[in-house]
Amino acid sequence: MNDLLKQPASLNHGRLIWSRPKHYAPFIHLPESSRNIYRVIFIAASLPLMAGIVIFGWRALMVTILSVAGCVITESAYYRITQTPAMHGRMHGAVTGLLLALTLPATVPWYVPITAAVFATIIGKALFGGMGHFLWQPALVGRLAVTVIFAPPLFNTNLVAPAKWSVLAQNRVILGDVCKAKQIEIYHQWQGTPPPTDCDAFKLPRPRKILRKLTLSTDQPPESITSVILKMPPAEDLILGTHGGGIGETSAVIIILAGLYLIHRSYIRSYLPGMFMLAAAITAAVAPVRTGDGLSWQWCPITAEGIEIGFIYVAYHLASGELLLAGWLLATEMTSRPITASAQAIFGILCGAAAMLMRLYLDFPIPAYAAVLLGNTFTPLLDAAVRPRALKRTPHEFYEKI
Amino acid sequence: MSLKLIRPRYGTFSGGIDLPDEKDATLESPITPIEHLSHLYVPLAPVHTTPAKPIVSIGQRVHQGEKIAQSSGDGQVDIFAPVAGRVSKFCQVILPVNTPASLCQNRDEYIIGWRVSPAIELVDLDEFEPFPSTSSTYDWLAADDISLCERIAEGGLITFNQRTVALANYISAARNAGVDTLIANVMENTPYITSDHRILTERGLEVIGGLSIIARAMKVSNVILAVDHRRTDSYRQAIAPSRLHGIRTIALANKYPIGSTAIIIRVLTRRRVRAEGEGLEVGVAVVDAATCLATYRWVVFGEVPAARVVTVSGPAVKNPANLLIPFGAEVGEVFASAGAEPDCVTIHGSVMTGNEIIKCTTPTGESIPAVVSASTNALLAMDQQSASDDVTPTPCIRCGWCSDSCPFRLNVAALNDDFELGRINSAKRRGCMYCIDCGICSYICPARLPLARRIKLLKLAIVEETARR
Ligand code: SF4
Ligand code: SF4
Repeated sequence: MNDLLKQPASLNHGRLIWSRPKHYAPFIHLPESSRNIYRVIFIAASLPLMAGIVIFGWRALMVTILSVAGCVITESAYYRITQTPAMHGRMHGAVTGLLLALTLPATVPWYVPITAAVFATIIGKALFGGMGHFLWQPALVGRLAVTVIFAPPLFNTNLVAPAKWSVLAQNRVILGDVCKAKQIEIYHQWQGTPPPTDCDAFKLPRPRKILRKLTLSTDQPPESITSVILKMPPAEDLILGTHGGGIGETSAVIIILAGLYLIHRSYIRSYLPGMFMLAAAITAAVAPVRTGDGLSWQWCPITAEGIEIGFIYVAYHLASGELLLAGWLLATEMTSRPITASAQAIFGILCGAAAMLMRLYLDFPIPAYAAVLLGNTFTPLLDAAVRPRALKRTPHEFYEKI
Repeated sequence: MSLKLIRPRYGTFSGGIDLPDEKDATLESPITPIEHLSHLYVPLAPVHTTPAKPIVSIGQRVHQGEKIAQSSGDGQVDIFAPVAGRVSKFCQVILPVNTPASLCQNRDEYIIGWRVSPAIELVDLDEFEPFPSTSSTYDWLAADDISLCERIAEGGLITFNQRTVALANYISAARNAGVDTLIANVMENTPYITSDHRILTERGLEVIGGLSIIARAMKVSNVILAVDHRRTDSYRQAIAPSRLHGIRTIALANKYPIGSTAIIIRVLTRRRVRAEGEGLEVGVAVVDAATCLATYRWVVFGEVPAARVVTVSGPAVKNPANLLIPFGAEVGEVFASAGAEPDCVTIHGSVMTGNEIIKCTTPTGESIPAVVSASTNALLAMDQQSASDDVTPTPCIRCGWCSDSCPFRLNVAALNDDFELGRINSAKRRGCMYCIDCGICSYICPARLPLARRIKLLKLAIVEETARR
């Protein structure tokens, strides 16, 4: 097959000598290249990073630099050694490193982002043959690897999923050290709360963790959905991102802005994040929660205590945790999502529903990322199963006629 | 006023892209006959079958419009001298091939994109006299369809599109197929090309006349003139009389590749053409403005088709123009007269679907020229760097733009995998044969993969595989 393209410099057909065409139609080209696409995605993904630097301070920047440098250096080194041309995409390495950093907490020690970067590049990318060939989003492969490695069996404390997450206080943003954190007694909302003495940050539970009490069977079930919602931080905290979480996971408005910019550049299609969010919302609205006595399950939490409380419950679920980052910037990664529009919509539904189900019923630190990795696994299947429209209407009749 | 006569928009199709227009250089430049040709190589096989037999001898002088070769049937047409001159020798020329894979007889021609045709060289040419204003010799309004068909067959008329056939054969095939719709396709929506636009602007009445002659010969009552909605003002002269002949003018949005036969049939009639099939199979015939003009000139004035309007343009051309060039003019000479830079990529046809003009020599070192023929709607010269394939392809990043923009919604990225892995059956199952070679996928691919070329080769492999079974 390939030897059709590898013609000799001249062809000898019908006793005549033809010079080989150097160009084939079309002779013009859209001024766009893969590198440019990754550059724009890098810029879009820098928006959540900026929010992260404001909320989590200079340590967030350090983690990001380590992770991006780790990815780019591993990639270049791998290319030097094996000469795989598809591993030559430094811009893609940088994007992977940046997305990886967005998923990590700012409090991790230096070796965590570097380990994650090496895993992302070698396992996530190089083993599959490099840029354009991998099955799973490499940044998430790296994230999954460090989640497993830096956890209790190997380490005493859970480095990448601490029980309490730190956030800088309002008067310490950008310059504060997020590791100098203390737990404080009275906390209502981020705005206006001064830090405890001698430190820059306070320790908080993730909002997601509060919500999960309703469904995970680890501790005593709360009395009602309303009582859980009253314990949640106010909505501005979730929208602006001043709550516990990974560097780029927390700020809902910035993540959606970055996603909308990519949609505007037509690098992602609105169906995918749209379906992801819709499926997650419907799952959260319908999937059962535990009742106050902890013995039975109650379906449709959206209507259980009045529709207003139900809506707030679903909205909190969508805005807290890593769901937004996964839906807008990680599931939409080009290579690991399906190609055709309808397959992408199905992929979005699959990932969104799986992310919400895992968050509700599995005690696992990164449910949305795991769901995206699960969805990636089905990408080739979806691509093969969803047939183009031209063929559906006039099936197969041309086989006999040619 | 004209806006009232024209329906603004008719319909569209999924996929497709807006190409850069780039037509400004020649949009307003009138059709001018080319000057100072030193020789012509008149091809004897404008239709891709058995060549016509020459009936002149070397050294003989021929006058403009004199028959110089006699068709031996088999779909070939009679050849006439485009310009008065002296026969100097019998030689060969190369002509582009745009037959679909399932109809191509010679795989090398399909891969190279060119074929060889015998030709007659004319030298000592007189000045080329276009559109001599002879008085009408034939009353076509009174003629019935059979006599119109006979008249068309006498004139050696051919269709001026990419798949050149004898017009008389096309008409009889259309009559046999029971065609009920005739579309004059003046969309012309690839960059640089303005030849059909100029023909309809300057000779609109004659185009309308020719269109209704063809419609009458085909016995078709539903005749549609499809034009670009941005240019309707220029066609005022043609549109008012078109009503008298019962021709509907429909302005379509200019989205590439609406000008391709399968798509324009789908947009205007909602019928779907089989993969690699012809419009005639679904009862639609498609002609272009140049064919209509030539038909009118022959049927009414008895002027044999001798030349066609060619847009000579492109970034590497100093004096872009719409030239009326006799058949058989060497493309090198045309480019020289338009002031093309020496080191450029020369293209026959449009930038999206055309063929690069390549060098061909006999074993003795004699070069075989490429010439202007009926399918030459444009001769374009691009700079080396603006012609795309120089950039090395990188791996497909699965952005999905190719399948988004493919007018047939093929999963082009998967077809590219099939090409790389040699999975011919899988490519066939994905509907590879539906591709119309529009070139959008290559144009848009950020990894710069030569997708359209690869799919073209895949189609050949599929046809060969099917034939072997
Ligand atoms: S346009 Fe090119 S890079 Fe994008 S999916 Fe198609 S083949 Fe791959
Ligand atoms: S696959 Fe064929 S029809 Fe589709 S965009 Fe490419 S060249 Fe055009």
